[in-house]
Amino acid sequence: MIENLLQAAIIVNILGSMVRIATPLLFAAMGELVSERSGVMNMGLEGTMLTAAFIGFMVAKNTGSLLLAICMASLAGGMVCLILALMTITLGVDQIITGLALNLLASGGTLFWFRLSYSQTSLENTPLIEFLKPVDIPPLSDIPYLGKVLFSHNLLTYLAFLVVPVIWFFLYKTFYGLQVRSLGENPKAADMTGMSVIKNRYIAVVIGGLMAGLGGAFVSVGSVERFFPDMTAGKGWLAIVIVIAGNWKPGRIFLATLIFAFLDAFQLQVQSIGVQFPYQILLALPYIVAIIALISGRTRSDAPESLGVSYHRE
Amino acid sequence: MKLKIGFKVEKRKNVSPAAQIMSLMIALLLSALATGLLMVIGKANVAEGFIAIYKGAFGTWKASIESLVKATPLILTGLATVIAFRARIWNIGQEGQLYIGAITAYWAYTQFTDLPPAALLTTTILFALIGGAVCGFMPAFIKAKFAVDEIITTIMLNYIVIYFLSWLLSGPWKDPSHYYQQSPTILEKAQFPILMVHTRLHLGFILAIVAALILYLLISKTPLGYEIQAMGFNPTASRFQGINVVKTMLIVMMISGAVSGLAGAGELFGVILRLKSNISLGYGYTGIIIAMLAGLEPLAVIPVAILFGGLINGSFLLQTTTNIPSALVYVIQAIVLLFFLGARAASVYRLRITKSD
Repeated sequence: MIENLLQAAIIVNILGSMVRIATPLLFAAMGELVSERSGVMNMGLEGTMLTAAFIGFMVAKNTGSLLLAICMASLAGGMVCLILALMTITLGVDQIITGLALNLLASGGTLFWFRLSYSQTSLENTPLIEFLKPVDIPPLSDIPYLGKVLFSHNLLTYLAFLVVPVIWFFLYKTFYGLQVRSLGENPKAADMTGMSVIKNRYIAVVIGGLMAGLGGAFVSVGSVERFFPDMTAGKGWLAIVIVIAGNWKPGRIFLATLIFAFLDAFQLQVQSIGVQFPYQILLALPYIVAIIALISGRTRSDAPESLGVSYHRE
Repeated sequence: MKLKIGFKVEKRKNVSPAAQIMSLMIALLLSALATGLLMVIGKANVAEGFIAIYKGAFGTWKASIESLVKATPLILTGLATVIAFRARIWNIGQEGQLYIGAITAYWAYTQFTDLPPAALLTTTILFALIGGAVCGFMPAFIKAKFAVDEIITTIMLNYIVIYFLSWLLSGPWKDPSHYYQQSPTILEKAQFPILMVHTRLHLGFILAIVAALILYLLISKTPLGYEIQAMGFNPTASRFQGINVVKTMLIVMMISGAVSGLAGAGELFGVILRLKSNISLGYGYTGIIIAMLAGLEPLAVIPVAILFGGLINGSFLLQTTTNIPSALVYVIQAIVLLFFLGARAASVYRLRITKSD
């Protein structure tokens, strides 16, 4: 009896943390989807999230306002992607190299600024913030098991799950979404219809950045009280993998995110109950699974035709 | 009738070598300005800051030699990037390949410790090359077999390798007498020979220069080099020219991985002398920047890498003389690359004044 209860508690725990872990990945992957559907691959997603996580932390630390922190983090993500857009869309620089350069800039820039602001801090002595606390949604959060899994999270998590249908609606049911998708498939044809390829790609990339920024905000002010260098730890890259594994479709991306998040939640649980297993292997698991997912998913690819190709009028 | 004067932006076909060098100069100048700005933000004396960077980098004979020490892994990871990118293979896995090189070389060291020094040295270097090559082969194989982009797989491998190393160092290879995750110190007989007394300049530097020469000859004078260049120019066309694109890709990735692996062995047996999780200060990623700035020319990698090696040491002195964090160096590196890419892209365009009725 008691064993069953424990098991149910463990499952609730795993699923609850799955939902939590899925949050930044959902934001980033859905944003990347919009960007990639317009034909621009944001390889700087990792750096975008890291910058946002840092800005969110700094704003929270200096103003004490979490709402402001989240907004500024999102804007910071948008700014990073604006640079990406400038480099790739306007100047036509290779999207891969630009993304890498931005990742390095974010990694170095946040470390530099953090050390400049809080020099000589040891781990015991790092600056702390009040992070975003979970909010129960009353009648729903009282549902046994399910309430704990789904309705006892912070506002960013609810927002992330809301973003999925919104992006779906945007891409498939609005005129602008249709435009974005046509840009990724055939920018020349889109250009001939009189639509501005440049302007619309800029908008799509910046939307992606704003969303990655929300993901970054969740990584810092949405989950922990401190900032540490490179704290996004590959989440941006995982989001890129998720977009590929989800075959550039919102529903499948949602599913792929949940699978990755479940794995991560599962390994956390295994670690916490102290199973004798090298935890490093568990930590590497998402990346190993990412490679497997890419291998198994590539044959039925619906990648946008012009993904990664910069557009110039002849 | 009104005469309209407008501007037309035209695109030139290629970036000329002069434009390439010009872009580099502009990028360095703008980056110096940005660096000065960051020093102002950090409330440091700008002149003092730049002097500290210069002194730390090339101010004394000893500092210059130490900059060559720092340049050694950078030359190798830069070369690893050059050969891959020349064939338009986006190997971003230099960091992981460097670590795998160090790991396999360390394994060989533990297995063959009893060999005489010269034989042991050859063995560890050989294993570093093999380890790196295997690590480069995997993503290339996955790409050949399943058409999975090498960019993502190489980056995923970087993360996996770091965790793998962390596991090795927390258990099997841990130095029991230390709290930190690190191996015992490398025995003196297995260390890379030092080239100059009272310095840390080791055999790895010579190996790096030799590697640059070999890769230069390989790319410009051999059939394989021709194939690499053809693939870089146009992969689809090269297939029709009878080039076995898959085979060339596998070979290129193995060479690229091996060169990075060598960098790992150099740091392990020449500088750090223990296997630990920070034997590379992001050398794999810096190598990518260096290769880009060097215009993907193997020989040009050497001076750029030495410049960057100096920059790393300069930033250390900067941190001790002012309160500017040495992390500044990573910011400078990324900014140089961004400005360089921007300037080079802009140099392709020509602004022309157009008149029309």
